[in-house]
Amino acid sequence: MTIPQRRAVFTGLGVLTPIGTDPAAYWQSLLAGTPGVRRIGSFDPSALPCQIAGELPGFDAKKFLPAEMKSARKALKTMARAIQLGVCAAEQAMAAGGPKKGQIDPFRFGIEFGCVMVATELDDLGKGGQVSCEGPDSTVNLTKWGADGLKNVPPLWMLKYLPNMPACHVSINYDAQGPNNTITSTETAGLMALGEAYRLLGRNAADFFLVGGCDSKTNPLSQSRYNGFYPLTKSHNDTPAAAVRPFDAARDGCVIGEGAAVFGLEDLEFARKRGATVLAELVGFASGYDKGKKGPVLAGVIRNALKEAGVGPADVDHVNAAAGGWPELDAWEARGIREALGDVPVVSYKGLFGNTGAASGLIELAASVLALQHGERPGTVNCDKVAADCQVNVHIGPPRKVTKPVAVKLAYTDRGQCAAAVVRKV
Amino acid sequence: MRRRVVITGMGVVTPLGHSVADMFGHLVEGKSGIDRITHFDARTFPTTFAAEVKNFDLGKFLPSAARYGQCGVNTRFALAAAKQALADSNLPATGDRTRIGVYMGSGEGSEDFHTVIGGCAAAADASGYKVDPGKFAAYAARHLNAPVEAELEMHTTAGHLAEEFDLLGPNFTCLTACAASAQAIGEAAEMIRHGDADVFVAGGSHSMIHPFGVTGFNLLTALSTRNDSPQTASRPFDATRDGFVLGEGGGVVILEEYEHATKRGAPIYAELTGYGTTGDAHAMTDPHPEGRGASRAMKDAIRDAGISPADLGYINAHGTSTPANDETETLTIKAALGEAAYKVPVSSTKSMLGHLIAAGGVVELIIAITAMRRGVLPPTMNLHHPDPKCDLDYIPNAAREVTGIRHVASNSLGFGGQNITLVASRI
Repeated sequence: MTIPQRRAVFTGLGVLTPIGTDPAAYWQSLLAGTPGVRRIGSFDPSALPCQIAGELPGFDAKKFLPAEMKSARKALKTMARAIQLGVCAAEQAMAAGGPKKGQIDPFRFGIEFGCVMVATELDDLGKGGQVSCEGPDSTVNLTKWGADGLKNVPPLWMLKYLPNMPACHVSINYDAQGPNNTITSTETAGLMALGEAYRLLGRNAADFFLVGGCDSKTNPLSQSRYNGFYPLTKSHNDTPAAAVRPFDAARDGCVIGEGAAVFGLEDLEFARKRGATVLAELVGFASGYDKGKKGPVLAGVIRNALKEAGVGPADVDHVNAAAGGWPELDAWEARGIREALGDVPVVSYKGLFGNTGAASGLIELAASVLALQHGERPGTVNCDKVAADCQVNVHIGPPRKVTKPVAVKLAYTDRGQCAAAVVRKV
Repeated sequence: MRRRVVITGMGVVTPLGHSVADMFGHLVEGKSGIDRITHFDARTFPTTFAAEVKNFDLGKFLPSAARYGQCGVNTRFALAAAKQALADSNLPATGDRTRIGVYMGSGEGSEDFHTVIGGCAAAADASGYKVDPGKFAAYAARHLNAPVEAELEMHTTAGHLAEEFDLLGPNFTCLTACAASAQAIGEAAEMIRHGDADVFVAGGSHSMIHPFGVTGFNLLTALSTRNDSPQTASRPFDATRDGFVLGEGGGVVILEEYEHATKRGAPIYAELTGYGTTGDAHAMTDPHPEGRGASRAMKDAIRDAGISPADLGYINAHGTSTPANDETETLTIKAALGEAAYKVPVSSTKSMLGHLIAAGGVVELIIAITAMRRGVLPPTMNLHHPDPKCDLDYIPNAAREVTGIRHVASNSLGFGGQNITLVASRI
């Protein structure tokens, strides 16, 4: 059924996370278990039930783009923070190992990003609102908005927030004229973007991809929205470092995080020819929808990805879970893992930085790629007692040696979309 | 030999009808779906008109419609289109459901304009340019409707399709602006070719006819402002065109592996033979001036289909009616087709339907396939002042009967530079 594939390898990495804004710093924090969840510092969160988050304090996009990237630096003002994060992580990945100009046909250079709804910056709308609202509760008068309000909004307002803009800006920065897509399936978006790039490479539609995920919901609008409908922990405002408790008996929700990760992913032969350093190989991908979040479809997705990789549970060093301390979702994931992989060691790194949304799949995958490279696997934090409804073999505590060649990365959404990627040590 | 992908069902919800037959009939008659905006009070906006979906009732399609009361219209359009397409394909409700995927090029729901703007105003300082985020959060907490907010997220549409119709295969959502649903179909077809699934429910849905949407596009000066004549405002390839007309809607096709379809005796509307996908790497909104990436996507799709440019019997153009798009798309078609560009009829149905944004690609593919099957090409309406830079055969102002068309193409070009061409062929 499966057509013999070209092989796809990771050759560059950029990460911006609450616990490190380059791969080396991120790796050190993973090993040390450095907490990145703190009281929200970018605004006064007193009105919110959940007042903690995984933020990147003091993030300044200009510091990540070298002076010679003049037009890219200029374009930063047309990008919301989530988009800037993606663009900066892409520059790290390119600087670390991307093809130089002349090494690649622009039409063979593709971009795949995971991104989601990007919240408006409030300052853009203050003046327009002010001239259009009336009454004690600041009610919008649409007649005034249409006539006078909207004129006070920056002309390029909409473009700052479109989810396909990370991929757009990155394609411009590196003259990438190949396939260009943006997956918007929230927490699975990054991993699905990776899966799609893998298929595109496999069918010879490109030689090199920048595959990224970026997200920033730490702003007041997203935080207000998510506090209403999303399972955020509301009991750890005074103990942020212990808030996110994957698979733990006392887990009661996640926190919002922000960040970005971008990989160079390319055809193995292409990488060899240009002398690129290979970090790991992507050997399997599958995805599905687990209706009712019961477990069997997730288990089937894991098995399909392993089948494509040509490996079994005995080859797997660890499962890098998406678990974020969610009462319902962690239990679902545990059932899926148990059914497909039995007692294989399981880690989750969300305890350190929360749910980085569309960036989460790739930020967390980076931890597994680094683990395979370094031969050492960081443990899970805040899982003090594995919950009765999460019967998996959680690797808790200090780092352990990597003993097997393969890692499995999982991602899923609150609705039921789920995905698995299998990576192999080189 | 690669797996072949065929289209076995089609469904639409559009400003010109809530079924393929109704919509296509209106297009052939040259009817316009464009009129004054009724979704909100737009009287003082720079643009006061759009192509709205009229008299839409999800209950006519789904007995479970009440379940979707908190969902945005984008999701309800998608559910209705998917229901039509699935019924049309006669796909059985049994079998291994993990072999049926969903891939939607779908927009977000309509953001809560009144809370966001009201909150910004309430929390702004005297100058208006500095908004206190803590005060805003307090205002937002009082006003946001949490279940509605949850349904704004883009993955919810594809999720609801999976839940409603028991579709447990890969479940993707992409949003590459105006190229999204065409890209969704292309990538879904590739997943079937690869073996990741046997069937995909693929397409898109979107509505930006809300205060934020019209504000955003008006600020970019992308919309026509011909407020005195909404029905003639969308005039693709005409020398007097002044912008696009915002539309809304949804469309779904059932993509199916050929053997899978023939074994069960499914109706086959066409084979999806060609897919081309590139990026402009040029600018946030403006297309590349020579159509560099778009012509490459067309060439790739034609090569993928294993045909030559002259084999195309019709092209449904992106044809937005913006000054930049229609000129560069004309260059694109010439660059991709060479001499044949002058012989292949091209039309833009956006002249009647408006621009369905993320949903545009799937609806226009369905139009192209229906035109091929019926032997009638829908016109480009409102094309009365030829633009010397747009000199192809655009089927001006009246539908055309044709015979023997075997291959059709549809272009979808998105803000951000994504260029998609799909080719469908008779089987």
